[in-house]
Amino acid sequence: MTIAQGGALLGDHPDATTGGGQRGSRELAPTSLVDLLDRLLGTGVVLAGDVIVSLAGVDLVEIKLHLLITSVRAEMDRP
Amino acid sequence: MVERDPDVESAAATVTDEPSGTGRYMYAVCRGLDAHALDGVEGLGGAPLATVQHDELTAVVSTVMLSEFGEQPLRRHLEDLAWLEPVVSKHDEVVRAISVSAPTAPLRLATICFDDDAVGARLREWYLPLMQALDRVDGRAEWSVKVVVSPRSEGSTDPEKPVLSGADYLRRKKEAAQGRVASESAAQELARSIHEDLSRRAVASRELPAQDARLSGRPGTMVLNAAYLVPDEAAEPFAARIAEIAAGNPELLVDGRGPWPPYSFAMLEQR
Repeated sequence: MTIAQGGALLGDHPDATTGGGQRGSRELAPTSLVDLLDRLLGTGVVLAGDVIVSLAGVDLVEIKLHLLITSVRAEMDRP
Repeated sequence: MVERDPDVESAAATVTDEPSGTGRYMYAVCRGLDAHALDGVEGLGGAPLATVQHDELTAVVSTVMLSEFGEQPLRRHLEDLAWLEPVVSKHDEVVRAISVSAPTAPLRLATICFDDDAVGARLREWYLPLMQALDRVDGRAEWSVKVVVSPRSEGSTDPEKPVLSGADYLRRKKEAAQGRVASESAAQELARSIHEDLSRRAVASRELPAQDARLSGRPGTMVLNAAYLVPDEAAEPFAARIAEIAAGNPELLVDGRGPWPPYSFAMLEQR
C-alpha cells in the first residue's frame, strides 16, 4: 500500500494505491434521485439467466426520461 | 423421485401476465460482509433482509410480491414516480449499508430471482466476473462531477458602459450572441480538460449522459456529467482538486459529490 510521505500528493498516482485490506467503515454522502436513476437504471451489475426480471438498459433510460420529464412538466404546469 | 417436465417448468417461468407468489429481490453482491452491517436495515416493503452465500460471495436479498415486482406490474410502476422514488431510495439505502464496510457490486434496480437457489445459481455462474468487479471497487468509492454553464455567464453585457445609441444597442446584442456561441464551445473545451484532469487522478472514469435541465433543476447547459472511481485514501486530495477547479472557473457551476457506492463501476463485462 502506498502511504503519503513528506507531503506527497496521493491523488497523483492512484493506480499504485489501494491495498484492499485497509477498508474500514466509511461515511458516504447522499445521492439525489436523478443521479440514482442515472445509475440504477443505466449501469450496475446485470445478471442474465433465469432471473425473472432484470431491466435492460436503453428502453429503461427512455422510460425514465419520459416518466421524469412528464412529471416535472406536470409540476410546472400546475397553476 | 418425481420426474419434472422441463417444458412445463420453462412455461411456468415465462408466464408473467398473471404473476402470483413471491420472488427474491437482489440489492447487491459483496464480499466479506460484516455480520452486523444490516442490523436495523429493512428491505422493500419492510421485509427482512437475508443473505445468500456462495464461496466468498454474498448476495443481499429480500422477498417481494410478484404481483408488484413481476415484469408486467413493474413496467406499469416504472411510469409512476410515486412508486419508483421509495423503491430507488430503499435500494440505495441497502446498498449503502453494505458498501460502508464491504466491497460491493450494486445490482441494477429490480433484479428478481425465483428463490434463494436461483440466487445461488447466479452467484455460481457469475463468480469470476463478480469477483473481478469487487476487486475493481475494493477500497474505492465513486465521485460525481457535473459541470453546468449557467445562463447568466453566457453573453453578459458590460453594465459600466451606458448604451449610446440604437446602433450601439444592436451591435452589443450581436456581440452578446456571438459571445454566447463562443462561451458554449469554450465551456465544452473546458469540460474536456476538467474531465482529463480528474480522470488522471482516478483509477477509472465514466461519462454519463448530460442531465436534462428540467430534471437536474439546474438552469443552464450541462457540459459534463462524469463519475470517477477514487481510492479511499485519495478522496481528500480528489475533493480538494474539485474545489480548486470550481474556484478557478467561477463562470462554471462545478458540482462535485461523493463518496458514493460504486454504482457506475461495478458493471460486469458485456456478454
